[in-house]
Amino acid sequence: MNFIILIAAGLLVPVFYKSNIFIAKLIAVAAFVASAVMVYNGFGLNNVFPYFVLDGSTKLMEYVLLATLAAVTLSLSGFERPLIAQMLFVAGASVAILETNNFFIFIVLFEVIAIISYVLVANIRNFYNAEGAIKAFIAGAVASGIILLGFALFSFVTESFNYAQMNVQGKFTLIAVAIMLAGIFYKLTVVPMHAWAADAYSQVNHAAAAILSGVIKSVMLVAVFKAFYKFLVAYPGATVLIFSFFAILTMTLANFMALWQKRISKILAYSSIAHSGYALIPFAAAASVYSYTGVLYYAIAYIFMQTSVFLILNDLRREAGVKYLEDIKGLGEKAPIHALFFTIQLFSLAGIPMLAGFLSKAVAFYAGIDAGLWPIVLIGLLNSALAVAYYAWIVKHIYLNKPVEGSVKKINISPGSLIGQLILLLGTVYFGIVAVQVFNTTISM
Amino acid sequence: MVAVDIIFAPIFLSVLLYFLTRNNQYMAKYIALGWFVVQFFIAFSWYNALPQEGFLELGSYLSVPQFGFELTLRVDALSVAMLLLTSALLILVVFTSWEEKKQAAYFSLLVLFSGPIFGVFMTTNVLWFFMFWELTLVPMFFLVGYWGGERRIYAAVKFFLYTHVASMFMFVGFYLLFKQTGFWDLTLIRETALATPALIWWFMFIGFAAKLPVFPFHTWLPDAHVEAPSSISVLLAGVLLKMGAYGLIRFTVELMPVTTQEFSIWMLIIGLNTTLFAGMLAIYERHIKKMVAYSSISHMGLVVVAIATMTYDGLSAALFEMIGHALVISPLFLIAGWLHHKTHTWYMDEMGGIMKKAPYVSAIFILAGMAALGLPGTMGFVGELTIIISAIKSFGWWIAVIAIASLISAGYIIWSVRRAIHGEMSPIVQKASFTMSYPEKAALAVFAFMIVYFGIQPQPIFDLANKAFSFLGGM
Repeated sequence: MNFIILIAAGLLVPVFYKSNIFIAKLIAVAAFVASAVMVYNGFGLNNVFPYFVLDGSTKLMEYVLLATLAAVTLSLSGFERPLIAQMLFVAGASVAILETNNFFIFIVLFEVIAIISYVLVANIRNFYNAEGAIKAFIAGAVASGIILLGFALFSFVTESFNYAQMNVQGKFTLIAVAIMLAGIFYKLTVVPMHAWAADAYSQVNHAAAAILSGVIKSVMLVAVFKAFYKFLVAYPGATVLIFSFFAILTMTLANFMALWQKRISKILAYSSIAHSGYALIPFAAAASVYSYTGVLYYAIAYIFMQTSVFLILNDLRREAGVKYLEDIKGLGEKAPIHALFFTIQLFSLAGIPMLAGFLSKAVAFYAGIDAGLWPIVLIGLLNSALAVAYYAWIVKHIYLNKPVEGSVKKINISPGSLIGQLILLLGTVYFGIVAVQVFNTTISM
Repeated sequence: MVAVDIIFAPIFLSVLLYFLTRNNQYMAKYIALGWFVVQFFIAFSWYNALPQEGFLELGSYLSVPQFGFELTLRVDALSVAMLLLTSALLILVVFTSWEEKKQAAYFSLLVLFSGPIFGVFMTTNVLWFFMFWELTLVPMFFLVGYWGGERRIYAAVKFFLYTHVASMFMFVGFYLLFKQTGFWDLTLIRETALATPALIWWFMFIGFAAKLPVFPFHTWLPDAHVEAPSSISVLLAGVLLKMGAYGLIRFTVELMPVTTQEFSIWMLIIGLNTTLFAGMLAIYERHIKKMVAYSSISHMGLVVVAIATMTYDGLSAALFEMIGHALVISPLFLIAGWLHHKTHTWYMDEMGGIMKKAPYVSAIFILAGMAALGLPGTMGFVGELTIIISAIKSFGWWIAVIAIASLISAGYIIWSVRRAIHGEMSPIVQKASFTMSYPEKAALAVFAFMIVYFGIQPQPIFDLANKAFSFLGGM
């Protein structure tokens, strides 16, 4: 039901684009709220189709997803209106991919989300946007091909696509899974399949980047973990080896790359890639009971903070043309509200306590310790300490440097942006102090 | 509920304070002062309610049964001593930063700092301890980075990164504690056997050692202390360094006594090294605030030596020296910063003859300096004497070499007094005008009073130590 509401709203919204953008936003937010209510009452896709289940953890992730998208909708400006309908479609496909328990449907929806994301980045206004969009498209198309190859191999050896009944011991399963993972790693921006993301996230419209790097990636993390869980447990040796290796590679390389950047959007793009690396640690620790908790918590925290930082950057870019670190010197005086939100969310990304970024990392890394991978967790923690360098560097420019003459003019926050940011901040703070829901829905005592 | 409010209220209070006083900045310090006084009296009420031994329960909140993650608040004599010290220093810091610029932001950051620092000393849940521990860095980062000296940004970023990296090692130690026992709560962990105590011990030690700081991990401290405004140096030396010593006592001595006994010789060597090495550097230093900073490191090395003894006497001496260090080093930092503010030079050989122009401040500098070198009748004497006696009792006569540390400190203190305070009046001093506001003078007087009072009457602190460390034997 939630799926139908979201898709229907997505089809309806473009009617109002020309006449009144406000009504379009209102319909979108109403659709998000209505589908959240539906989810609360248990009316998901499970009532309409088989192959879907709506359990506690899925519900939690869907609330978070819908709240985030509502926040994004509220903070969009006029010329970003095509995103409203696209977001509703993203939401529809996302709730479906979160609810499914069938591998075939997972693959189909994975491609659907990929296609929506190509449309999402196609809001091209200059050469710079175009480069990012083309890179996202070509890399995505390659990834799709690879995933389909792996999936074709896998479909030879299994009789059922149900997550619980899949045949994971077949002859070519390991190679099939490895090929599928190679494609999926493109989408999760794991080094060395990350190169497109660094450009795409930083060069497309920042609101689209917020959805692409924050929302879609979080949904993918949870969905991929649920789909691949049985394989991860069936091949513990390969799991630990593959995921630890890529986790270390991703976070280390992305953090070092982020340190050299001057363009803020590029720093945030590399930070997003580094976060994929941290999120792979609970994958490596699939044997632990905390692994799903870790992935879910990470996705929940990440969706709030990453979306928020890109949205603030979008505001700053639109209002004051902010691009480089130089441009945000003295932002604390010129745009105090933006600066405060930006700082809190950056500290959350850096893993400062009382914010979701810390507790999610603590739980995700604990899964690693629980599976006996403490050296990898130590590398992860040192990496997150290293990452503080570039987050604190942005904060340094905002508050500690004096404003350069003519760099930023005074910026007021629009009411829509303010409400959107408050929703995201509430999520970041709430999941930074109260963790009980995440544990209740994933680990039963 | 008071217990949990005292930690979380400052977060809201600081935001409120900023927006309330943005347009009339002079109000900020009164509100902040009021809050710190409230904190002091709450801590004092716990001081009165302390049981003879063990913890005073203050409730637990925010439970997650599957992860054992629960904000458990309880205080014992050691934490109450730290809480009283922290809130007393915060009150004094309001007076010493009476004329700071941008007061609304400054005091709201101080209020923000007062929450997590109380949390560090109040919780026995390891994960929450770590959260509060890290959270104290954020207000300090801004306080050093915005209000500091010329190289403030470098110092702030270095301080933040350095202590954050060290904390990550500590965090792995905490993770392993939970993995091997299944509890986050200290009182429960203590009763469970650990599989790899040595590994955990070293991971945790690195975290605390960087905060203390001891010799190989000390390089953040001179930069941070020199660049920070003097009032913030007081908090760095008086409170943040104490977090390291507090953690060392709570997590090594109390939590894993057998392992600590095993590695106590390493702690002793590290502590001795720190004391002597930092003392040498202080002698070499011309920069007055750096000299004080190295003297601070040197004294914290003595605390490590005292903790390494693992005896009742040693830990009591360590607690006394922790408090003594806070009260002695603070006026030195304040005066060093004030002298720079008035003379615009950091170098002691360019000062000289300050006694003639600013006798009050010079007298307090000399008094605090004498306390730092251990003159009888001051806190420094009691602290250093008890440490040396307890170390000799535990490790044998050879440890009397530690007395060299006292000699070295006599060297740099007396020489700096000779260069800066007495001697020919230099042209710089001749030109400068040495006026000090009354709140600052009052704060210095309070420090001077406490140095002498606890030097003659150390019993209140040793009573607290008796309650805190009675499990080690006691008197």
